[in-house]
Amino acid sequence: MVTFGNLSQFGALAFSLLAMVLLVTGVVRNDLRWVRAGKRSLVGVAVLATGASVALGYLFLTDAFQVEYVASYSDRALPVFYKATAFWAGQKGSLLFWAWVLSLFSALVIHNNRREPDTRATPYVYLVLAGTLAFFLFLLCAVTNPFETLGFVPRDGQGLNPMLQNPGMVFHPPTLFLGYIGFTIPFAYAVAAMVTGSTDASWIRKTRAWNVLSWIFLTVGIILGGQWAYVELGWGGYWAWDPVENASFIPWLTSTAFIHTAIIQERRGIMKVWNMSLILLTFVLCIFGTYLVRSGVLQSVHDFGATGLGGYFLVFIAVTLLGGIYLIAESYGELKTPGALESYLSRESTFLFNNVILLALAFATFFGTVFPLISEAVTGNKVTVGPPFFNMVNTPLFLVLLLITGVCPLIGWRKASPANLRRNFLRPAVAALVAGGALVALGVREPYALVAFTLAGFVAATIVQEFVTAVGSRRKLTGESSLIAGFRVLWRMRRRYGGHLVHLGLVLIVVGITGSSAYKLETQATLARGEALHIGRYELKYEDFKTYQKFNRTVYAAVLGVYNGGERIGQLDAERRYYVNARQPTTEVALRSTLVEDLYVTMPGIGRTGEITLKVAVNPLLIWIWIGGGVMVLGGVLAIIPSRKKRRAP
Amino acid sequence: MTRNVVWFAALWLLAATIIPARPALALTETEVAEGLLCYACPGEPLTADRCRGGDQMRATIRRMIAEGKTKQEILSYFAQEFGEDILTYPPKRGFNLVAYVGPFVGLLVGAAVAAVVVRRWSSAGRRRSEPRDPGSAPSRLDEKTRRRIEEELSHLDEEA
Repeated sequence: MVTFGNLSQFGALAFSLLAMVLLVTGVVRNDLRWVRAGKRSLVGVAVLATGASVALGYLFLTDAFQVEYVASYSDRALPVFYKATAFWAGQKGSLLFWAWVLSLFSALVIHNNRREPDTRATPYVYLVLAGTLAFFLFLLCAVTNPFETLGFVPRDGQGLNPMLQNPGMVFHPPTLFLGYIGFTIPFAYAVAAMVTGSTDASWIRKTRAWNVLSWIFLTVGIILGGQWAYVELGWGGYWAWDPVENASFIPWLTSTAFIHTAIIQERRGIMKVWNMSLILLTFVLCIFGTYLVRSGVLQSVHDFGATGLGGYFLVFIAVTLLGGIYLIAESYGELKTPGALESYLSRESTFLFNNVILLALAFATFFGTVFPLISEAVTGNKVTVGPPFFNMVNTPLFLVLLLITGVCPLIGWRKASPANLRRNFLRPAVAALVAGGALVALGVREPYALVAFTLAGFVAATIVQEFVTAVGSRRKLTGESSLIAGFRVLWRMRRRYGGHLVHLGLVLIVVGITGSSAYKLETQATLARGEALHIGRYELKYEDFKTYQKFNRTVYAAVLGVYNGGERIGQLDAERRYYVNARQPTTEVALRSTLVEDLYVTMPGIGRTGEITLKVAVNPLLIWIWIGGGVMVLGGVLAIIPSRKKRRAP
Repeated sequence: MTRNVVWFAALWLLAATIIPARPALALTETEVAEGLLCYACPGEPLTADRCRGGDQMRATIRRMIAEGKTKQEILSYFAQEFGEDILTYPPKRGFNLVAYVGPFVGLLVGAAVAAVVVRRWSSAGRRRSEPRDPGSAPSRLDEKTRRRIEEELSHLDEEA
């Protein structure tokens, strides 16, 4: 199977290079037969990359510890589910996953376009895809081969890091990668549009589903990463502004900006240069994100190990960036459109300002992430840039973004009249003030929390107002019931209301972040059996202690009774786990999650005489972060469901 | 309706001044730990770290909180003991100020560019929409018709 994997991998590299040669020949000879042959080679890459991936999966499932990568990330005691997903636990498997998925996406693009005649742009689209594939396959074959063998067969593998043995970590990396990889498709179309001078919005229309889908995957990946950190790392937080977290967040910001301005290009035919620049930036940042995980250039809990990959990635990034800038400069004449807005007060201008804020956030996050390197280069001191810095710099920017999120839908396309603005703003503004007033009455004084909650109320009110008005109009026209009219408005204008749902998800996330960070309660105590600690309205009583064996771990669990006002409302088991092959025990979070607050318990210590040390937190509203993430994803999905007319089209 | 907004705003401000706020919460170990890395595990935030070195640091934080020290005093103590790179943020002085100021300079530049672009585009748009022959300009719509058109146009908006 090792040989099969190696052959498949080298074959995939050969086919991707062949595809490039065929496509270039097709362009030079202006002969579409060569282009078609190039496309067939790309399908061949997908088949061979699938072969290599199946081989690696098989090697994990069969405990083939003669393979260095398998021995490093698996062991005999590892549950089958985690054996299969250990595939992407390290850098080699992650890169193979990248190449495999990109090859499948390329084949899917070929399949989707099978009924469309090839145009001048076609070879360039596939050339970019083949080039990117060749880069990753070259790394796999020449620099960091997942099928490399040890020369002997160890009795057992080193096992998977216990912290990675969590469902969140199983799905977080692949979804994030799906997002990163997906943006290669719109980037390829953008390059083709620039090279062939077809700079109208057709490339944006063709890749809209890819853009939004990749954005959805990035969102899911980021949310799952946060969820994993929350339930697995045991420090009570969900986002640490770690360089790798930032590396996924930055392209999320630029792609969000792109999704907004792409709408303007679709509707008004303006902002072409801007959109080209944004998709170039997003693609480069996706590659940078992959590079950051793998390079070890910045200290991060995600660095699986520094390797010599960094140089290759930097060259690829530099070539892409310089090539992209050259293409934009070269086609500037065609891209430049005389922009014309009827008014300052138009949705177009608010989209532009939303882009400014999104890019400022992206810049601030990027700058903070690389500042340790800049500081080291300039002053010789390597400073640390962590959560306090990012929270300080990014929070005000987020609040402005939230305000614009509310303002944007209230302002019509082209031109908004003062009367129109007054009518649209009044109710949401009142709702926001009522929400703010109620919070003040409840004792909320933290300025950021007050502003964030008030703005969240404002944005939610704009969305509700918009929806209620639309449903009302429909009811008047059709006489349908509110429920039916509501559903039909949602379904018939799903692109519009998908966007609103995404905004509503953002509001819920803001509520969750603000509540859990501004009003968190914490305590730590050492308890003997029968003793209790108090936090907020809860009493936690140490009732029992259990020890048992499960799968590949020994579990020590403290049974804690949860009381509220003297009434027992539940039980939590705070665990310390000793995994086979792991040097250190891990703490497992015990969580009681409600819509109001999370009761979050970890057990950092077990004493020799049976006493336990507990760290307990009450995180208000935190669950709304995950619910908001779900609503965002739902909105994204709703926005890309094609219309019936389109689906029927051949 | 405008009167309502003013009324609510006044109520809000009044409430802010007369209703007692929730008392300030005591400084917690995590609040201080968020500003520190573990000295024994390079790059590991103290909030996430579970090693013995981290335990010692957390014990010191708890002791200093109990002694009534402020967050800044505790952080300064650790910075003196282990060097400034134990802090999770660059101290606000010297070259580090670039990190704090840079993003906002970027924001101002971006906002200025966007403002110039919007201004240029909207004046170009106005020039385009000016009627060439004033005699052929459409007559002003009455308020009711204009509102109806606006309403219907807004329903036609298919985009976000």
